[in-house]
Amino acid sequence: MGYGAGLSGLTSETEQGPPPWPGTHHVCRAGCPEGPHSAVPAVSQQRHLCPSARGDVHQLLPALPAGGAQLQPSVCPHLRHPPPPDEALPGSGVRVKKLCELQPGEKCCVVGTLFKAMPLQPSILREVSEEHNLLPQPPRNKYIHPDDELVLEDELQRIRLEGTIDVSRLVTGTVLAVLGSVRDDGKFLVEDHCFAGLAPQAPAPPLDMDRFVLLVSGLGLGGGGGESLLGTQLLVDVVTGQLGDEGEQCSAAHVSRVILAGNLLSHSTQSRDSINKAKYLTKKTQAASVEAVKMLDEILLQLSASVPVDVMPGEFDPTNYTLPQQPLHPCMFPLATAYSTLQLVTNPYQATIDGVRFLGTAGQNVSDIFRYSSMEDHLEILEWTLRVRHISPTAPDTLGCYPFYKSDPFIFLECPHVYFCGNTPSFGSKIIQGPEDQTVLLVAVPDFSATQTACLVNLRSLACQPISFSGFGAEDDVLGGLGLGP
Amino acid sequence: MADQLYLENIDEFVTDQNKIVTYKWLSYTLGVHVNQAKQMLYDYVERKRKENSGAQLHVTYLVSGSLVQNGHVCHKVAVVREDKLEAVKSKLAVTASVHVYSIQKAMLKDSGPLFNTDYDILKSNLQNCSKFSAIQCAAAVPRASETSSSEKFEQSNLQVSSETQATSELTANGHGPPTSKQIPHQPKGIMGMFASKAASKSQDTNKETKTEAKEVTNASSASSKAPGKGTVMSNFFGKAAMNKLKVNLDSEQEVKEEKVVEQPLLSVTEPKLAAPAGLKKSSKKAEPVKMQQKEKKKGKRVEFSDDETKETVNMKKKRRRLKLPESDSSEDEVVPDSPGIYEAESPSPPPSASPPPEPATKTEPEPPSVKSLSGENKRKRKRVLKSKTFVDEDGCIVTEKVYESESCTDSEEELKMKTSSTHRPPAVTVKKEPKEERKGPKKGTAALGKANRQVSITGFFQRK
Repeated sequence: MGYGAGLSGLTSETEQGPPPWPGTHHVCRAGCPEGPHSAVPAVSQQRHLCPSARGDVHQLLPALPAGGAQLQPSVCPHLRHPPPPDEALPGSGVRVKKLCELQPGEKCCVVGTLFKAMPLQPSILREVSEEHNLLPQPPRNKYIHPDDELVLEDELQRIRLEGTIDVSRLVTGTVLAVLGSVRDDGKFLVEDHCFAGLAPQAPAPPLDMDRFVLLVSGLGLGGGGGESLLGTQLLVDVVTGQLGDEGEQCSAAHVSRVILAGNLLSHSTQSRDSINKAKYLTKKTQAASVEAVKMLDEILLQLSASVPVDVMPGEFDPTNYTLPQQPLHPCMFPLATAYSTLQLVTNPYQATIDGVRFLGTAGQNVSDIFRYSSMEDHLEILEWTLRVRHISPTAPDTLGCYPFYKSDPFIFLECPHVYFCGNTPSFGSKIIQGPEDQTVLLVAVPDFSATQTACLVNLRSLACQPISFSGFGAEDDVLGGLGLGP
Repeated sequence: MADQLYLENIDEFVTDQNKIVTYKWLSYTLGVHVNQAKQMLYDYVERKRKENSGAQLHVTYLVSGSLVQNGHVCHKVAVVREDKLEAVKSKLAVTASVHVYSIQKAMLKDSGPLFNTDYDILKSNLQNCSKFSAIQCAAAVPRASETSSSEKFEQSNLQVSSETQATSELTANGHGPPTSKQIPHQPKGIMGMFASKAASKSQDTNKETKTEAKEVTNASSASSKAPGKGTVMSNFFGKAAMNKLKVNLDSEQEVKEEKVVEQPLLSVTEPKLAAPAGLKKSSKKAEPVKMQQKEKKKGKRVEFSDDETKETVNMKKKRRRLKLPESDSSEDEVVPDSPGIYEAESPSPPPSASPPPEPATKTEPEPPSVKSLSGENKRKRKRVLKSKTFVDEDGCIVTEKVYESESCTDSEEELKMKTSSTHRPPAVTVKKEPKEERKGPKKGTAALGKANRQVSITGFFQRK
């Protein structure tokens, strides 16, 4: 649960002190030829917007000065509607203002962080409130509601947004710029809005031969699904070069990395019997995750004897809950950690493999946005996070996250070449182009325990291909299992 | 003639023992390369069907290929029954490979038993799961058990240095310097070159380039993910494969003296040998060679550490010796197994200056045995409290209890020692025990405590 519940939670809760950028106001000058935002370097543009509780901590992305401030300069140049030539913003006269400077009726641009007030959002306060005698809300698929409202916050104030802005699509924590004017009733009428856009990207060095990276997520061990175990074994056999004929084995030899993107254990290993049941019943029973981790260790042993493996933890894995999730502890894998090819990494994870930059998560960020937005396709959400330039805008509001307050490691400083998220319901992949020649391959890695499908990314051509595994079952539905049925 | 042997084996497995013979199971059981195992199964099926068309054989196949689905080209890998094979092949736009997955007498309702068979054989061969596979990874060198445990428990320089080597390997892998990565990952060939623990990978890359060169042609031709071969059954040991195997054999001799992971080389050469009997022998040969290689490797590490720690331990031992008023009989070094090592560590320091070789040999194994404790734990996973009896320099027979991790065969030799006398001067006992207690937990099996092989470093000398 987040701070949701109608608090202007983000800023006031988590801001740790006065913004450390005294007096760096940024005002558009009328007639400034290039527009203020593109010309002024980032440092002086550190207008401190809703820091949204992020500070620099462990690993992932390098330290940043502050959340919103980092994004603000990039937001403005991308306003889609070029304002009329004599206005302040890039060739226009529209100024970027702070909320406290707004004059009614004056067209201007405001940059800030969104907050979406959602009546259906689970609220811890409402739950514990005794006077309402409310039962805990049943978990829903989506918490959106037609009555949701958007509020824009900067470091001092907040204002309701209305107008041509899709309330259901946006989620809390998004940094955006809105163009419009404030009305007399105190609400801001939006004419247009834009996001920070894709971060700059360093081009990847060209490869002279095909190299592949295999992305798998949601192995779901310990879940009792026999079918998925055979699929997992087939996957391991293909990668380690046991299955297939010579040609296949040669192709498999080109797989230079395997990334396991979370949810290695199944949801069912997270049983909380020990909490609910009496101690005498659970004293000698082993946690379900113990057996599952042993199985995982054997699988990792087979894989790491043959290919470098990066293991990311996921929602159901035995590591911390809040993002960024720490790597699984090597003591759980006594067999596999003997190989140096095994790397236990964090979630989210960033790596450079053969010069190609990978960045991805185990899917918690995307599924959280899915719950609070009307967007349906996980791949679409993934693309949206890239365009908003933030991996997980809903953290820490509705997704557990370490309370960073100085800088936000989830902001894209640099655009990756391959951006993936795990545990999606189905495979999806897309290549998008950015305005500055950025090319990103988006991959929605499906849940292996459900779909028996993994993704093979070709580093040279940045193409992604799904690879499915199946056995045969009693129902003779081989073709259906392969997806080849009528 | 030699062909008949493996056919008979398969025949026996399938019909007499009613087993489910998967290619993987056969590969581990006969100690052959997986592709060889697949070919054997295919031959068996062909022959059996020719001889006796009413043969009660059910075969499952592995089909892999690609087709266009939802706008992407999807690759499918599936285990199918024989009766469904053609149907599945017809649905695939491009059939990349088909081979026999398993043979069994009874018709299988689902693929569960196949998985179980594979899982069982894999469980019993976990440590060398990639031994017979077609892909070897140069970077996948199992960290020495000593160093991996000692990262956590010991702070000695040796471990730190080998740890940094390991981490540098890691970073190298992570960022993939093109040179070192290309070579192992280019076909990652059947010929695996494993860098020695202490040496860099570079010595191997040269050899790799040689073998890889041959494989490049094959690899580049097959570099697209769905090479689109037709019926591939006959392609198993195509020309390219034979080239690879020949190359492997040549380079195998060169790297014969390589370290632990020599077994893939041997296993790869096995397909070349025609005789399955030969195959069996060579697989057995692989085992002892592997053991010795492991031991040698450990021996090397042992010696390495000795230099650094011998002095300190010697010093310690000398100091302890001075404290003791009484002296014990000279230790019995002639113990053909690990007790010799524990003698070394035992704090039964005779007060008099013992002859240098004795403390030397004693102290030598101490650090590695300490290091190997947890490593051995990882290997054997058995810690038993055993009594070690020996005669120290002063002629006193000393028995002490130590914890050690042992394999089953080792314990046989240990039992002999247990029955030795426990005569011990009481005063010495009193003083020794606290030290023994301290030393006890630090002991582990000898670094060379491989099953039914050289168990202690002293044992090696004795046999000669």
